[in-house]
Amino acid sequence: MQNRNHIFSSITLIAAVGLLIFYGFTIFSGRSGRDENPFEYDVDSFKGADSSLIHYAEVQSIDFEGKKLTALTLNFKDELIVAAGREIFRIDSMFQSSLWITTQYPVRCLATDIEGLVYVGLENIVLVYHPDGSKQAEWDDFPRQAILTSIAVGDSHVYVADAGSRVVHYFNNSGKLITRLGEKDPVRNIPGFVIPSPYFDLCIAKNGSVWVVNPGRHTFENYLPSGDLVAQWGKTSMRIDGFSGCCNPTHIAMTPQGEFVTSEKGLERIKVYSPAGQLLSVVALPEQFDEGTVGLDLAVDSKGVIYVLDPSRERIRIFGKKEVS
Amino acid sequence: MENPSNNSKVTRRRFMRDSVRSVLALGIGAVSGLLIGRSTKQNIVWQLDPEKCVQCGRCATDCVLDESAVKCVHAYDVCGYCELCGGYSKPDAHELDTAAENQLCPTGAIQRSFIEDPYFEYTINEKLCIGCAKCVKGCGSFGNGSLYLQVRHDRCVNCNDCAIARNCPGEAFSRMPSDRPYLLKGEQGLT
Ligand code: SF4
Ligand code: SF4
Ligand code: SF4
Repeated sequence: MQNRNHIFSSITLIAAVGLLIFYGFTIFSGRSGRDENPFEYDVDSFKGADSSLIHYAEVQSIDFEGKKLTALTLNFKDELIVAAGREIFRIDSMFQSSLWITTQYPVRCLATDIEGLVYVGLENIVLVYHPDGSKQAEWDDFPRQAILTSIAVGDSHVYVADAGSRVVHYFNNSGKLITRLGEKDPVRNIPGFVIPSPYFDLCIAKNGSVWVVNPGRHTFENYLPSGDLVAQWGKTSMRIDGFSGCCNPTHIAMTPQGEFVTSEKGLERIKVYSPAGQLLSVVALPEQFDEGTVGLDLAVDSKGVIYVLDPSRERIRIFGKKEVS
Repeated sequence: MENPSNNSKVTRRRFMRDSVRSVLALGIGAVSGLLIGRSTKQNIVWQLDPEKCVQCGRCATDCVLDESAVKCVHAYDVCGYCELCGGYSKPDAHELDTAAENQLCPTGAIQRSFIEDPYFEYTINEKLCIGCAKCVKGCGSFGNGSLYLQVRHDRCVNCNDCAIARNCPGEAFSRMPSDRPYLLKGEQGLT
Protein backbone atom coordinates (compact mmCIF):
# COMPACT_ATOMS: atom_id res chain seq x y z
CA MET A 1 0.00 0.00 0.00
CA GLN A 2 2.80 2.34 1.03
CA ASN A 3 4.60 1.38 -2.16
CA ARG A 4 1.51 2.21 -4.24
CA ASN A 5 1.17 5.61 -2.55
CA HIS A 6 4.81 6.26 -3.26
CA ILE A 7 4.36 5.40 -6.96
CA PHE A 8 1.23 7.63 -7.13
CA SER A 9 3.08 10.59 -5.55
CA SER A 10 6.00 10.13 -7.93
CA ILE A 11 3.68 10.07 -10.97
CA THR A 12 1.91 13.23 -9.71
CA LEU A 13 5.25 14.92 -9.17
CA ILE A 14 6.53 13.94 -12.62
CA ALA A 15 3.26 15.15 -14.21
CA ALA A 16 3.47 18.45 -12.34
CA VAL A 17 7.10 18.96 -13.39
CA GLY A 18 6.17 18.00 -16.97
CA LEU A 19 3.36 20.53 -17.01
CA LEU A 20 5.63 23.21 -15.61
CA ILE A 21 8.26 22.48 -18.28
CA PHE A 22 5.57 22.51 -20.99
CA TYR A 23 4.13 25.85 -19.89
CA GLY A 24 7.59 27.27 -19.43
CA PHE A 25 8.47 26.20 -22.95
CA THR A 26 5.32 27.57 -24.49
CA ILE A 27 5.70 30.88 -22.71
CA PHE A 28 9.35 31.30 -23.63
CA SER A 29 8.88 30.00 -27.16
CA GLY A 30 6.29 32.69 -27.68
CA ARG A 31 3.38 30.31 -28.41
CA SER A 32 1.63 31.42 -25.28
CA GLY A 33 3.16 34.86 -24.77
CA ARG A 34 2.16 35.49 -28.39
CA ASP A 35 4.30 38.56 -28.82
CA GLU A 36 6.96 36.96 -30.97
CA ASN A 37 6.24 36.83 -34.67
CA PRO A 38 8.68 34.49 -36.41
CA PHE A 39 7.68 36.14 -39.70
CA GLU A 40 8.03 39.74 -38.57
CA TYR A 41 8.54 42.23 -41.41
CA ASP A 42 11.37 44.09 -39.81
CA VAL A 43 12.40 47.55 -41.01
CA ASP A 44 13.52 48.77 -37.59
CA SER A 45 17.12 49.04 -38.71
CA PHE A 46 16.06 51.69 -41.25
CA LYS A 47 14.14 53.84 -38.81
CA GLY A 48 17.09 55.63 -37.28
CA ALA A 49 19.61 58.20 -38.45
CA ASP A 50 22.99 59.43 -37.38
CA SER A 51 22.30 62.05 -34.70
CA SER A 52 24.66 64.45 -36.47
CA LEU A 53 22.10 64.66 -39.29
CA ILE A 54 19.16 65.64 -37.08
CA HIS A 55 19.18 69.40 -37.38
CA TYR A 56 15.51 70.07 -36.62
CA ALA A 57 13.19 69.76 -33.65
CA GLU A 58 9.42 70.05 -33.32
CA VAL A 59 8.68 73.46 -31.86
CA GLN A 60 4.91 73.74 -31.96
CA SER A 61 1.75 72.18 -33.29
CA ILE A 62 -1.75 73.30 -34.26
CA ASP A 63 -4.56 70.91 -33.40
CA PHE A 64 -7.38 70.08 -35.80
CA GLU A 65 -9.04 67.43 -33.67
CA GLY A 66 -11.71 65.50 -35.51
CA LYS A 67 -10.72 66.92 -38.91
CA LYS A 68 -9.48 64.84 -41.83
CA LEU A 69 -6.59 67.03 -42.89
CA THR A 70 -5.80 66.90 -46.60
CA ALA A 71 -3.54 69.77 -47.68
CA LEU A 72 -1.70 72.86 -46.52
CA THR A 73 0.09 75.85 -48.00
CA LEU A 74 1.59 79.17 -46.89
CA ASN A 75 0.86 82.50 -48.54
CA PHE A 76 3.41 85.26 -49.21
CA LYS A 77 2.84 86.64 -45.69
CA ASP A 78 3.70 83.22 -44.21
CA GLU A 79 0.07 82.72 -43.21
CA LEU A 80 -0.99 79.12 -43.11
CA ILE A 81 -3.97 77.82 -45.09
CA VAL A 82 -5.16 74.30 -44.30
CA ALA A 83 -7.72 72.04 -45.98
CA ALA A 84 -9.68 69.34 -44.20
CA GLY A 85 -12.00 67.58 -46.61
CA ARG A 86 -14.25 70.25 -48.13
CA GLU A 87 -13.30 72.93 -45.58
CA ILE A 88 -10.47 75.42 -45.94
CA PHE A 89 -9.17 77.20 -42.84
CA ARG A 90 -7.00 80.26 -42.43
CA ILE A 91 -4.62 80.28 -39.49
CA ASP A 92 -3.69 83.61 -37.88
CA SER A 93 -0.37 84.58 -36.34
CA MET A 94 -1.59 83.34 -32.93
CA PHE A 95 -2.26 79.94 -34.58
CA GLN A 96 -6.01 80.34 -34.24
CA SER A 97 -7.89 78.77 -37.12
CA SER A 98 -11.09 80.02 -38.71
CA LEU A 99 -13.18 78.46 -41.44
CA TRP A 100 -12.63 80.41 -44.66
CA ILE A 101 -14.23 78.54 -47.57
CA THR A 102 -16.27 75.39 -48.02
CA THR A 103 -15.94 73.68 -51.40
CA GLN A 104 -18.31 71.30 -53.13
CA TYR A 105 -15.83 68.42 -53.25
CA PRO A 106 -12.86 67.45 -51.06
CA VAL A 107 -9.75 69.57 -51.44
CA ARG A 108 -6.73 67.62 -52.65
CA CYS A 109 -4.10 70.34 -52.94
CA LEU A 110 -3.51 74.03 -52.25
CA ALA A 111 -1.15 76.74 -53.49
CA THR A 112 -0.89 80.55 -53.35
CA ASP A 113 0.69 83.22 -55.52
CA ILE A 114 2.55 86.44 -54.75
CA GLU A 115 -0.70 88.44 -54.72
CA GLY A 116 -2.37 86.16 -52.23
CA LEU A 117 -4.65 84.34 -54.67
CA VAL A 118 -5.36 80.84 -53.39
CA TYR A 119 -5.44 77.92 -55.85
CA VAL A 120 -7.55 75.01 -54.67
CA GLY A 121 -7.24 71.63 -56.40
CA LEU A 122 -10.27 69.36 -56.26
CA GLU A 123 -10.28 66.00 -58.03
CA ASN A 124 -10.34 67.45 -61.58
CA ILE A 125 -10.95 71.18 -61.14
CA VAL A 126 -8.80 74.08 -59.97
CA LEU A 127 -10.63 76.90 -58.18
CA VAL A 128 -8.95 80.28 -57.76
CA TYR A 129 -9.98 82.43 -54.77
CA HIS A 130 -9.27 86.07 -54.01
CA PRO A 131 -7.92 86.67 -50.46
CA ASP A 132 -11.36 88.10 -49.58
CA GLY A 133 -12.84 84.64 -50.22
CA SER A 134 -14.56 85.39 -53.53
CA LYS A 135 -14.12 82.88 -56.33
CA GLN A 136 -12.15 84.35 -59.25
CA ALA A 137 -11.95 81.45 -61.65
CA GLU A 138 -12.62 77.79 -62.20
CA TRP A 139 -10.29 75.77 -64.44
CA ASP A 140 -11.64 72.51 -65.71
CA ASP A 141 -9.52 71.79 -68.77
CA PHE A 142 -8.38 68.40 -67.46
CA PRO A 143 -8.74 64.88 -68.88
CA ARG A 144 -11.57 62.66 -67.63
CA GLN A 145 -9.20 60.52 -65.57
CA ALA A 146 -7.52 63.50 -63.86
CA ILE A 147 -6.64 63.29 -60.18
CA LEU A 148 -4.99 66.57 -59.23
CA THR A 149 -2.39 66.17 -56.51
CA SER A 150 -0.29 69.33 -56.49
CA ILE A 151 -0.24 72.94 -57.74
CA ALA A 152 2.74 75.30 -58.00
CA VAL A 153 2.31 78.92 -59.02
CA GLY A 154 5.01 81.04 -60.69
CA ASP A 155 5.06 84.69 -61.78
CA SER A 156 2.97 84.11 -64.89
CA HIS A 157 2.24 80.43 -65.03
CA VAL A 158 0.85 77.53 -63.01
CA TYR A 159 1.90 73.88 -62.94
CA VAL A 160 -0.68 71.27 -61.92
CA ALA A 161 0.33 67.66 -61.18
CA ASP A 162 -2.22 65.10 -62.35
CA ALA A 163 -1.65 61.60 -60.95
CA GLY A 164 -4.56 60.13 -62.90
CA SER A 165 -3.17 61.20 -66.30
CA ARG A 166 0.47 60.97 -65.15
CA VAL A 167 1.39 64.39 -66.58
CA VAL A 168 1.98 67.95 -65.42
CA HIS A 169 -0.41 70.51 -66.92
CA TYR A 170 1.20 73.87 -67.67
CA PHE A 171 -1.19 76.87 -67.69
CA ASN A 172 -0.74 80.59 -68.03
CA ASN A 173 -2.11 82.46 -65.03
CA SER A 174 -5.40 83.15 -66.82
CA GLY A 175 -6.07 79.42 -66.82
CA LYS A 176 -5.26 78.77 -70.47
CA LEU A 177 -3.64 75.39 -70.93
CA ILE A 178 -0.31 75.83 -72.73
CA THR A 179 1.09 72.32 -72.76
CA ARG A 180 1.52 69.08 -70.83
CA LEU A 181 4.89 68.01 -69.46
CA GLY A 182 6.47 64.69 -68.64
CA GLU A 183 4.75 62.32 -71.04
CA LYS A 184 6.99 59.38 -71.89
CA ASP A 185 9.11 60.26 -74.91
CA PRO A 186 12.20 58.13 -75.57
CA VAL A 187 13.38 60.53 -78.29
CA ARG A 188 13.59 63.40 -75.79
CA ASN A 189 14.87 61.09 -73.04
CA ILE A 190 11.74 61.55 -70.94
CA PRO A 191 11.10 58.39 -68.93
CA GLY A 192 7.43 59.05 -68.12
CA PHE A 193 5.94 59.30 -64.67
CA VAL A 194 5.38 56.07 -62.74
CA ILE A 195 2.60 56.72 -60.24
CA PRO A 196 1.29 53.52 -58.65
CA SER A 197 -0.93 55.42 -56.21
CA PRO A 198 -2.08 59.05 -56.12
CA TYR A 199 1.03 60.66 -54.66
CA PHE A 200 2.56 63.02 -57.18
CA ASP A 201 4.05 66.30 -56.02
CA LEU A 202 5.93 69.17 -57.62
CA CYS A 203 7.41 72.54 -56.75
CA ILE A 204 8.61 75.50 -58.72
CA ALA A 205 12.26 76.51 -58.91
CA LYS A 206 13.50 80.10 -58.75
CA ASN A 207 14.18 80.07 -62.52
CA GLY A 208 10.55 79.19 -63.24
CA SER A 209 11.23 75.57 -64.13
CA VAL A 210 9.43 72.83 -62.25
CA TRP A 211 10.77 69.97 -60.13
CA VAL A 212 8.50 66.97 -60.25
CA VAL A 213 8.70 63.79 -58.17
CA ASN A 214 8.60 60.59 -60.23
CA PRO A 215 7.45 58.52 -57.25
CA GLY A 216 7.61 55.04 -58.80
CA ARG A 217 11.23 55.68 -59.79
CA HIS A 218 12.15 57.61 -56.60
CA THR A 219 13.54 60.46 -58.68
CA PHE A 220 13.22 64.22 -58.85
CA GLU A 221 12.96 65.52 -62.41
CA ASN A 222 13.47 69.13 -63.52
CA TYR A 223 11.44 70.27 -66.53
CA LEU A 224 11.57 73.52 -68.45
CA PRO A 225 8.27 75.01 -69.66
CA SER A 226 9.30 73.75 -73.12
CA GLY A 227 8.98 70.21 -71.76
CA ASP A 228 12.71 69.49 -71.83
CA LEU A 229 13.99 67.37 -68.98
CA VAL A 230 17.13 69.18 -67.87
CA ALA A 231 18.16 67.51 -64.62
CA GLN A 232 17.28 64.61 -62.36
CA TRP A 233 18.45 62.90 -59.23
CA GLY A 234 17.24 60.18 -56.89
CA LYS A 235 18.24 57.08 -54.99
CA THR A 236 16.21 53.92 -54.41
CA SER A 237 16.99 52.62 -50.94
CA MET A 238 15.38 52.22 -47.54
CA ARG A 239 18.49 53.74 -46.02
CA ILE A 240 18.25 57.27 -44.71
CA ASP A 241 19.59 58.88 -47.88
CA GLY A 242 17.14 57.14 -50.24
CA PHE A 243 13.48 56.59 -51.01
CA SER A 244 11.72 53.27 -51.22
CA GLY A 245 8.39 51.60 -51.91
CA CYS A 246 6.09 52.35 -54.75
CA CYS A 247 5.46 56.07 -54.29
CA ASN A 248 8.09 58.06 -52.48
CA PRO A 249 8.66 60.82 -51.65
CA THR A 250 4.95 61.44 -51.35
CA HIS A 251 5.32 65.19 -50.80
CA ILE A 252 7.96 67.84 -51.32
CA ALA A 253 8.46 71.53 -50.60
CA MET A 254 11.28 73.97 -51.25
CA THR A 255 13.19 76.03 -48.71
CA PRO A 256 14.11 79.69 -49.39
CA GLN A 257 17.62 78.42 -50.23
CA GLY A 258 16.27 76.09 -52.93
CA GLU A 259 16.73 72.91 -50.89
CA PHE A 260 14.12 70.14 -51.04
CA VAL A 261 12.11 69.05 -48.04
CA THR A 262 10.66 65.56 -48.52
CA SER A 263 8.15 63.34 -46.74
CA GLU A 264 7.65 59.59 -47.13
CA LYS A 265 5.17 56.86 -46.41
CA GLY A 266 6.14 53.38 -45.21
CA LEU A 267 9.11 54.83 -43.36
CA GLU A 268 7.51 58.04 -42.15
CA ARG A 269 10.34 60.54 -42.22
CA ILE A 270 11.01 64.13 -43.21
CA LYS A 271 14.37 65.06 -44.71
CA VAL A 272 16.13 67.94 -46.42
CA TYR A 273 18.19 67.50 -49.62
CA SER A 274 20.46 69.88 -51.49
CA PRO A 275 19.30 70.98 -54.96
CA ALA A 276 21.64 68.32 -56.39
CA GLY A 277 20.17 65.57 -54.22
CA GLN A 278 22.59 65.28 -51.34
CA LEU A 279 20.99 64.49 -47.99
CA LEU A 280 21.61 67.50 -45.74
CA SER A 281 19.36 67.05 -42.70
CA VAL A 282 16.84 64.84 -41.03
CA VAL A 283 13.82 66.73 -39.76
CA ALA A 284 11.78 63.89 -38.27
CA LEU A 285 12.07 60.11 -38.01
CA PRO A 286 9.42 57.33 -38.00
CA GLU A 287 9.36 57.24 -34.19
CA GLN A 288 7.78 60.72 -34.31
CA PHE A 289 4.76 59.53 -36.33
CA ASP A 290 2.05 56.93 -35.94
CA GLU A 291 2.94 53.79 -37.89
CA GLY A 292 1.11 53.80 -41.21
CA THR A 293 0.72 57.57 -41.45
CA VAL A 294 0.35 58.72 -45.05
CA GLY A 295 -0.17 62.12 -46.58
CA LEU A 296 2.45 64.21 -44.77
CA ASP A 297 1.96 67.35 -46.85
CA LEU A 298 4.67 69.99 -46.43
CA ALA A 299 5.20 73.73 -46.56
CA VAL A 300 8.20 75.93 -45.73
CA ASP A 301 7.98 79.56 -44.65
CA SER A 302 10.31 82.42 -45.57
CA LYS A 303 12.49 81.71 -42.50
CA GLY A 304 12.91 78.04 -43.38
CA VAL A 305 10.49 76.75 -40.73
CA ILE A 306 8.89 73.49 -41.90
CA TYR A 307 5.15 72.81 -41.53
CA VAL A 308 4.03 69.17 -41.68
CA LEU A 309 0.41 68.15 -42.03
CA ASP A 310 -0.09 65.01 -39.92
CA PRO A 311 -3.47 63.45 -40.81
CA SER A 312 -3.11 60.68 -38.26
CA ARG A 313 -2.55 62.97 -35.27
CA GLU A 314 -4.94 65.56 -36.75
CA ARG A 315 -2.54 68.46 -36.39
CA ILE A 316 -0.08 70.67 -38.20
CA ARG A 317 3.37 70.07 -36.74
CA ILE A 318 6.00 72.78 -36.94
CA PHE A 319 9.72 72.00 -37.09
CA GLY A 320 12.47 74.57 -36.66
CA LYS A 321 16.23 74.36 -36.97
CA LYS A 322 17.99 73.50 -33.73
CA GLU A 323 20.33 76.05 -32.26
CA VAL A 324 23.95 75.09 -32.89
CA SER A 325 25.70 75.01 -29.51
CA MET B 1 -0.01 69.07 -52.56
CA GLU B 2 -2.38 66.31 -51.76
CA ASN B 3 -3.24 63.88 -49.05
CA PRO B 4 -4.91 60.84 -50.57
CA SER B 5 -5.54 59.35 -47.14
CA ASN B 6 -8.77 61.30 -47.25
CA ASN B 7 -9.83 59.81 -50.54
CA SER B 8 -12.63 57.33 -50.59
CA LYS B 9 -11.65 53.79 -51.41
CA VAL B 10 -13.80 54.11 -54.50
CA THR B 11 -11.61 56.96 -55.72
CA ARG B 12 -8.46 55.03 -55.00
CA ARG B 13 -9.84 52.03 -56.86
CA ARG B 14 -10.86 54.24 -59.73
CA PHE B 15 -7.35 55.59 -59.85
CA MET B 16 -5.92 52.14 -60.28
CA ARG B 17 -8.66 51.05 -62.66
CA ASP B 18 -7.94 53.95 -64.94
CA SER B 19 -4.24 53.36 -64.92
CA VAL B 20 -2.62 51.46 -67.73
CA ARG B 21 -1.72 48.55 -65.52
CA SER B 22 -5.29 47.66 -64.78
CA VAL B 23 -5.57 45.88 -68.12
CA LEU B 24 -3.55 43.21 -66.40
CA ALA B 25 -6.15 42.72 -63.70
CA LEU B 26 -7.06 39.17 -64.53
CA GLY B 27 -6.00 37.14 -61.55
CA ILE B 28 -8.64 38.17 -59.08
CA GLY B 29 -11.25 36.25 -61.06
CA ALA B 30 -9.39 33.11 -60.20
CA VAL B 31 -9.79 33.93 -56.53
CA SER B 32 -13.49 34.58 -56.63
CA GLY B 33 -13.96 31.29 -58.40
CA LEU B 34 -12.29 29.30 -55.65
CA LEU B 35 -13.81 25.99 -54.81
CA ILE B 36 -15.70 25.72 -51.60
CA GLY B 37 -15.20 22.13 -50.62
CA ARG B 38 -15.71 20.46 -47.32
CA SER B 39 -16.67 23.58 -45.49
CA THR B 40 -20.05 24.04 -47.17
CA LYS B 41 -21.50 21.24 -45.05
CA GLN B 42 -22.54 24.02 -42.74
CA ASN B 43 -23.97 27.26 -44.01
CA ILE B 44 -21.32 29.41 -42.46
CA VAL B 45 -17.56 29.42 -42.89
CA TRP B 46 -14.61 31.24 -41.34
CA GLN B 47 -13.10 34.19 -43.12
CA LEU B 48 -10.72 36.97 -42.14
CA ASP B 49 -11.18 40.64 -42.85
CA PRO B 50 -7.99 41.94 -44.50
CA GLU B 51 -8.71 45.43 -43.17
CA LYS B 52 -8.48 44.12 -39.58
CA CYS B 53 -5.46 41.86 -40.06
CA VAL B 54 -2.32 43.17 -38.34
CA GLN B 55 0.00 40.60 -39.95
CA CYS B 56 0.96 38.87 -36.71
CA GLY B 57 2.09 35.62 -38.33
CA ARG B 58 -0.37 33.37 -36.48
CA CYS B 59 -2.25 32.44 -39.63
CA ALA B 60 0.90 30.49 -40.51
CA THR B 61 1.46 28.92 -37.11
CA ASP B 62 -1.93 28.36 -35.50
CA CYS B 63 -4.08 26.58 -38.09
CA VAL B 64 -4.88 22.99 -37.17
CA LEU B 65 -3.72 21.90 -40.61
CA ASP B 66 -0.03 21.23 -41.10
CA GLU B 67 -0.08 23.62 -44.04
CA SER B 68 -2.31 26.53 -43.10
CA ALA B 69 -5.66 27.00 -44.81
CA VAL B 70 -4.82 30.71 -44.98
CA LYS B 71 -3.01 31.86 -48.11
CA CYS B 72 -1.92 35.11 -49.65
CA VAL B 73 -4.18 36.53 -52.36
CA HIS B 74 -3.28 39.25 -54.86
CA ALA B 75 -5.68 42.00 -55.97
CA TYR B 76 -4.08 42.76 -59.32
CA ASP B 77 -6.25 45.79 -59.96
CA VAL B 78 -4.95 47.40 -56.76
CA CYS B 79 -1.29 46.51 -57.41
CA GLY B 80 1.13 49.20 -58.61
CA TYR B 81 3.28 46.66 -60.52
CA CYS B 82 6.23 48.33 -58.83
CA GLU B 83 9.83 47.48 -59.53
CA LEU B 84 10.61 47.97 -55.85
CA CYS B 85 7.82 45.82 -54.40
CA GLY B 86 7.69 45.98 -50.61
CA GLY B 87 6.03 42.57 -50.62
CA TYR B 88 8.63 40.93 -52.82
CA SER B 89 12.05 42.36 -52.00
CA LYS B 90 13.70 42.29 -48.60
CA PRO B 91 14.04 45.76 -47.07
CA ASP B 92 17.83 45.45 -47.27
CA ALA B 93 17.95 43.73 -50.66
CA HIS B 94 21.16 44.53 -52.49
CA GLU B 95 19.52 44.23 -55.89
CA LEU B 96 15.91 44.38 -57.02
CA ASP B 97 16.19 41.01 -58.68
CA THR B 98 14.87 37.49 -58.25
CA ALA B 99 17.87 36.12 -56.31
CA ALA B 100 16.68 34.06 -53.34
CA GLU B 101 18.69 36.13 -50.86
CA ASN B 102 16.86 39.28 -51.95
CA GLN B 103 13.35 37.83 -51.65
CA LEU B 104 11.21 38.63 -48.63
CA CYS B 105 8.96 35.54 -48.78
CA PRO B 106 10.42 32.80 -46.55
CA THR B 107 9.25 30.10 -48.96
CA GLY B 108 9.87 31.84 -52.28
CA ALA B 109 6.15 31.73 -53.04
CA ILE B 110 6.02 35.01 -54.95
CA GLN B 111 6.96 34.96 -58.60
CA ARG B 112 8.05 38.14 -60.31
CA SER B 113 7.85 38.68 -64.05
CA PHE B 114 8.80 41.69 -66.13
CA ILE B 115 5.92 43.34 -68.02
CA GLU B 116 7.40 46.50 -69.53
CA ASP B 117 9.68 49.20 -68.16
CA PRO B 118 9.32 49.74 -65.21
CA TYR B 119 6.44 47.37 -64.40
CA PHE B 120 6.62 43.91 -62.86
CA GLU B 121 3.86 41.45 -62.13
CA TYR B 122 3.76 39.45 -58.92
CA THR B 123 2.00 36.08 -58.69
CA ILE B 124 1.50 33.90 -55.62
CA ASN B 125 2.39 30.23 -55.92
CA GLU B 126 -0.20 28.93 -53.47
CA LYS B 127 1.44 25.56 -53.08
CA LEU B 128 4.40 27.32 -51.48
CA CYS B 129 2.53 30.01 -49.53
CA ILE B 130 2.24 29.36 -45.79
CA GLY B 131 0.12 32.42 -45.01
CA CYS B 132 2.78 34.13 -42.92
CA ALA B 133 1.69 37.67 -43.97
CA LYS B 134 5.23 38.99 -44.28
CA CYS B 135 4.57 40.16 -47.84
CA VAL B 136 1.21 41.57 -46.75
CA LYS B 137 2.96 43.85 -44.26
CA GLY B 138 5.61 44.91 -46.80
CA CYS B 139 3.04 45.65 -49.48
CA GLY B 140 0.73 47.47 -47.06
CA SER B 141 3.53 49.65 -45.68
CA PHE B 142 5.25 50.62 -48.91
CA GLY B 143 2.81 49.73 -51.66
CA ASN B 144 -0.89 49.76 -52.38
CA GLY B 145 -1.90 46.91 -50.06
CA SER B 146 -2.73 44.57 -52.94
CA LEU B 147 -1.37 41.47 -51.16
CA TYR B 148 -3.61 40.15 -48.38
CA LEU B 149 -4.65 36.96 -46.63
CA GLN B 150 -7.78 34.87 -47.04
CA VAL B 151 -8.96 31.54 -45.58
CA ARG B 152 -9.06 29.25 -48.62
CA HIS B 153 -12.18 27.16 -48.49
CA ASP B 154 -10.77 24.44 -50.68
CA ARG B 155 -8.42 23.76 -47.75
CA CYS B 156 -10.17 24.90 -44.57
CA VAL B 157 -11.94 22.14 -42.62
CA ASN B 158 -14.20 24.72 -40.98
CA CYS B 159 -13.41 23.88 -37.35
CA ASN B 160 -16.15 24.80 -34.91
CA ASP B 161 -13.60 26.77 -32.96
CA CYS B 162 -11.06 28.09 -35.47
CA ALA B 163 -7.64 27.91 -33.80
CA ILE B 164 -6.45 31.05 -35.56
CA ALA B 165 -9.60 33.04 -34.83
CA ARG B 166 -9.17 32.25 -31.14
CA ASN B 167 -5.75 33.93 -31.09
CA CYS B 168 -6.06 36.56 -33.79
CA PRO B 169 -4.96 39.89 -32.21
CA GLY B 170 -6.79 41.89 -34.89
CA GLU B 171 -10.06 40.05 -34.25
CA ALA B 172 -10.14 39.70 -38.01
CA PHE B 173 -11.98 36.37 -38.12
CA SER B 174 -15.73 36.00 -38.35
CA ARG B 175 -18.29 33.59 -39.71
CA MET B 176 -19.47 34.25 -43.26
CA PRO B 177 -22.32 32.77 -45.24
CA SER B 178 -20.90 29.93 -47.37
CA ASP B 179 -22.30 31.47 -50.55
CA ARG B 180 -20.22 34.62 -49.91
CA PRO B 181 -17.13 33.13 -48.33
CA TYR B 182 -14.46 35.67 -49.30
CA LEU B 183 -13.67 39.27 -48.35
CA LEU B 184 -11.84 40.36 -51.48
CA LYS B 185 -10.09 43.61 -52.21
CA GLY B 186 -10.24 45.46 -55.50
CA GLU B 187 -12.79 45.43 -58.28
CA GLN B 188 -14.55 42.26 -57.23
CA GLY B 189 -14.28 42.89 -53.56
CA LEU B 190 -16.13 44.75 -50.92
CA THR B 191 -13.39 47.18 -50.02
S1 SF4 C 1 -4.08 35.89 -36.99
FE1 SF4 C 1 -5.29 37.72 -37.53
S2 SF4 C 1 -3.84 39.46 -37.43
FE2 SF4 C 1 -2.62 37.55 -37.44
S3 SF4 C 1 -2.08 37.25 -39.61
FE3 SF4 C 1 -3.99 36.07 -39.24
S4 SF4 C 1 -5.68 37.48 -39.72
FE4 SF4 C 1 -3.82 38.70 -39.55
S1 SF4 D 1 5.44 36.05 -47.64
FE1 SF4 D 1 4.16 34.58 -46.48
S2 SF4 D 1 2.04 35.16 -47.02
FE2 SF4 D 1 3.38 36.12 -48.54
S3 SF4 D 1 3.46 34.66 -50.25
FE3 SF4 D 1 5.21 34.20 -48.93
S4 SF4 D 1 4.46 32.61 -47.52
FE4 SF4 D 1 2.65 33.55 -48.48
S1 SF4 E 1 -11.18 26.82 -39.31
FE1 SF4 E 1 -9.62 25.29 -38.84
S2 SF4 E 1 -8.74 24.72 -40.82
FE2 SF4 E 1 -9.88 26.62 -41.13
S3 SF4 E 1 -8.37 28.27 -40.88
FE3 SF4 E 1 -9.31 27.95 -38.86
S4 SF4 E 1 -7.96 26.46 -37.84
FE4 SF4 E 1 -7.46 26.40 -40.05
